[in-house]
Amino acid sequence: MKGGAQGVGAAAALDYAKLGFMCGLEVHQRLATKQKLFCACPAEVTQGHGSGTIFRYQRAVAGELGNVDLSAQFEEMRRRKFIYNLYEGHTCLVDIDEEPPHPLNTEALEIALSVAAALGLKISDELEPMRKEVVDGSNPSAFQRTILLGTDGAIRLDGHEIGITMMSLEEESAGISAATQDSITYDSDRIGIPLVEIDTDPHIASPQEAKQVALHIGTLLRLTGRVQRGIGTIRQDVNVSIKGGARVEIKGMQKLDTMDRFIENEVLRQQRLLELRDELVRRKASVGEVHDLTKQLSGTKAKIISAALGSGGSLLGLALHGFSGMLGAEVNPGRRLGTEISDYAKMGGVKGLIHSDEDMNGYGLTDDEAATVRRELKLKERDAFILIAGANDNASKAIRLAADRARQALVGVPLETRGVASAETFTTKFMRPLPGGARMYPETDVKPVGITKEMLEKAAQDAPDIAKERARLVKELGNEGLAGMLMMSQRLQIYKMLTAARGSDREFIANTLLQKFTELRRAGYDVESIPEGELSGLFRMYAEGKLTKQAVEEVLKELARGKRDAAKIVKAMGLERVSGKALASLVDKVRKEAHGISGKELVQRVMREHRLNVDGAELNALVDGK
Amino acid sequence: MYSDEVLEFLRSNGVEVGDLVKVKSGGNTVEGELMPGTEANSPDVLVIKLANGYNTGVSSKGARVEKLKRASKEARPFPKAHLGQRKGLPKVTLLYTGGTIGSKLDYKTGGVYMLLKPEELFYEVPELSGIASISAKQLFSISSEDMSYLEWQRIAEEAARAVSEGAHGVVVTIGTDTMHYASAALSFMLKDIRAPIVLTGSQRSSDRGSSDAFLNLICAVRLAAESDIGEVGICMHATSSDDKCAFMRGTKVRKMHTSRRDAFRPVNSKVIAELGSTGAIKYIGRYRKAVQSNGAKPVLGFESKVALVKAYPDSDPDLINFYADKGYKGMIIEGTGLGHTPVSTEHEGKSWLPAIKNAVENGMIVGMTSQCLYGRVHPNVYRNLRLLSNAGVIYCGDMLPETAYVKLGWLLGNYDAGKARDLLAKDVAGEIEERQEYDEFPNDVFE
Repeated sequence: MKGGAQGVGAAAALDYAKLGFMCGLEVHQRLATKQKLFCACPAEVTQGHGSGTIFRYQRAVAGELGNVDLSAQFEEMRRRKFIYNLYEGHTCLVDIDEEPPHPLNTEALEIALSVAAALGLKISDELEPMRKEVVDGSNPSAFQRTILLGTDGAIRLDGHEIGITMMSLEEESAGISAATQDSITYDSDRIGIPLVEIDTDPHIASPQEAKQVALHIGTLLRLTGRVQRGIGTIRQDVNVSIKGGARVEIKGMQKLDTMDRFIENEVLRQQRLLELRDELVRRKASVGEVHDLTKQLSGTKAKIISAALGSGGSLLGLALHGFSGMLGAEVNPGRRLGTEISDYAKMGGVKGLIHSDEDMNGYGLTDDEAATVRRELKLKERDAFILIAGANDNASKAIRLAADRARQALVGVPLETRGVASAETFTTKFMRPLPGGARMYPETDVKPVGITKEMLEKAAQDAPDIAKERARLVKELGNEGLAGMLMMSQRLQIYKMLTAARGSDREFIANTLLQKFTELRRAGYDVESIPEGELSGLFRMYAEGKLTKQAVEEVLKELARGKRDAAKIVKAMGLERVSGKALASLVDKVRKEAHGISGKELVQRVMREHRLNVDGAELNALVDGK
Repeated sequence: MYSDEVLEFLRSNGVEVGDLVKVKSGGNTVEGELMPGTEANSPDVLVIKLANGYNTGVSSKGARVEKLKRASKEARPFPKAHLGQRKGLPKVTLLYTGGTIGSKLDYKTGGVYMLLKPEELFYEVPELSGIASISAKQLFSISSEDMSYLEWQRIAEEAARAVSEGAHGVVVTIGTDTMHYASAALSFMLKDIRAPIVLTGSQRSSDRGSSDAFLNLICAVRLAAESDIGEVGICMHATSSDDKCAFMRGTKVRKMHTSRRDAFRPVNSKVIAELGSTGAIKYIGRYRKAVQSNGAKPVLGFESKVALVKAYPDSDPDLINFYADKGYKGMIIEGTGLGHTPVSTEHEGKSWLPAIKNAVENGMIVGMTSQCLYGRVHPNVYRNLRLLSNAGVIYCGDMLPETAYVKLGWLLGNYDAGKARDLLAKDVAGEIEERQEYDEFPNDVFE
């Protein structure tokens, strides 16, 4: 088994096959088209300021087959207000659901079909636009328009075939700009940017392989040269389960590097939840009644409670029979079963909960008050409780959600969509119930698209090919290792752009983008923030002989610090290359000053004083020649 | 509906919509539920819903289909709302006439299912259960563009009956495109009814989670149940946000946008009231008050031989002769500016004047409104206007062209020609205002 070969903590020892590990990926990638998928807005996120706002509410409505999706119902229960920031030039009526969609963007379709061809997908005879119901406000229409392109493809990784179950072309959602308990503010400029989703089958063998698959698909997408780059333009969601557990979707992992760690933790979490389930079942545990304890604890000094009661709220208690010690049991680093339950309660609009495996005094509750709670809830020794304080509606919603989650603990692992809880400990938290298949219905405003033979031929012709590209790079760079690294990196497209200029030093550019960037990033420089235009300006200066390699590094540091315009930076820092006649006269000057100096000493002295301005090779040639 | 080609394919294979099928076509094998086709699908394509919820189109050409499971014939029971009807709430009658508001779309048959039982309606819009005691009735299911005066008469009759039977107010759900024609018609037909008669609809169908139908319906029912307005009007979104709705006089309102939620705007008038799903109703413009236990009879007559004609550069005046020859009794012209048609003899055969004179002499009532919509027509400012008014054209003040069209049909259906001619330019149901104020003209684009 490959799993855990790298040795990362406790998870390293796991035998994934034995655990019944199931894992599939959903890769989402924004396409670099001129316009959005269903309107004429530019397909880009603006840096500009909002030009106004509108707000809406959304409701769960039945899907095509008459069922209302659980996750949609859940969102509706939360009843949040969705505010949309509008951006002049980047938001039109289509984006905010005030105008029907325009016909499908054919540029986006062309790019997507070329990727579908590369993945060996069986492309549909006719594409049927669908509405995927999403009532979390991320799309003002309360659905995402999405089109299945094809099914049943595959990629090959080190001899292991990974099935690609499907690929779709869809609209990007709105980006969250701010959120409170009652409202979410979204940026509307992102809505409708073309996005492809590629789903693998659930047979990825290990967390490490998941990472490799994501890397492979990302590389393939970037090879088209027609996808967007930068933070947030590619997203990987992972579906994970183990035998006896349940499918859990993890969203929002920003870095591919640590994806495996999140997956390992999810496996651990499911294992722990199953162990806790077994213990709870053995104890014949059950979830009891909700009691209103507002009166009984009206005089409490506990801050969380008194604050809620002071503003007319209530305190609710839930009896959990046989749960003693279980709520405090760790399921992931720094996360307990109590935390899992608390995440549900928070969705009801409260700050959190207090449970009996915690230190009551820490909350400011006296031993007497804790005893009152136990008495009112009629608890026995092995029983536990949960307290929730908040505005009346929110508290009762929250405790109902907490009770539901506690009941799930008796069954095992709930089906969930989870988001990142901590990027440091690689842990996740509940976001919403996993959406079912009920949330799709036809988008009748957009005509179905018939796929012609010509379209398929064009797709096959344009299909990105990793092996071919790698061979081309090896030939170009004459360095297999560097070519391989470049292939898999996110910087291949930039490399191509930078090396398109005549006379560019390919190897230097590749090395800078790979080794130098990594080195600088580790030293704390935000190299990712450097605009591509600045990079091309910088390497143009280098190609024109105006800068030394060492100076390129110094300029990169300044650019990473947020300074702009490489030429200006060079001037301000006195980084202009000294070369040709100027170098010759510099050498003469040093030679005169230090009479009888050896060639080697001469080079050393010049380099010591003018390291950033003088190219060592040129200097050596000059000195040797004399 | 599928094409004949696909229907024949399905028939010969013994497969029906709703069946679970496996289709092999070209190199592809697709398994899923056979969905109904639409006129937008290619004539050879079958639409299959996959297990993941996506629909995909498979060509039936040379395809083999295998039935895995027959469609379930059971009707799906409608889920019951948990909410009961609260006691002591005002009675509101809800009249469905079409559109998707207050209805559910059946994706299998493509049919629209009206939510007639309060519990079904409350399942969709639970807020309503706390606002009014609702009785719902479906009159017909007709698209906006297919409405005629016959439907307006029926709605008026039913609304009048509901009020005389004790309803505090009436809500009419109706397609939006011609809603302002209907609201004008009801305003005239129900002119003595002193109860809120509220027309509402939706710009986004109620089968989408973002629909404006929910707030529109809640606000319309609130107006019918809680307001003291005794007029017919339209209640729709006031802005693009799900913030508040505006109630606008039935004769002074117009659909001004093809797709926005706040498409309806009062023209030459102010909004009567504004309200949200909760909170007080804010009364803005003046209005007639409701009088309860008012059993006035509707005045339902309508003459359908009335035309609405637009004057435009280089237009052919024969248009008027066409209607005159067909025996039309009235015509509203949507003139340019202050109420012009071409009248010059410079371009031969382009002056409308001879045709208008002829029509008026033969007894046709010709009214003039403006395609500017905003502002008032005037019979005297220019010589060309005087020519038309001297020819017997009646200048209709600040009345909207659509309202004038409906009004003339209603006048000719209930009064003799002399009286109809006399009343056309006089205010009957709030359609003509003597005064217009500065802020009754939109200027958003300059802000």
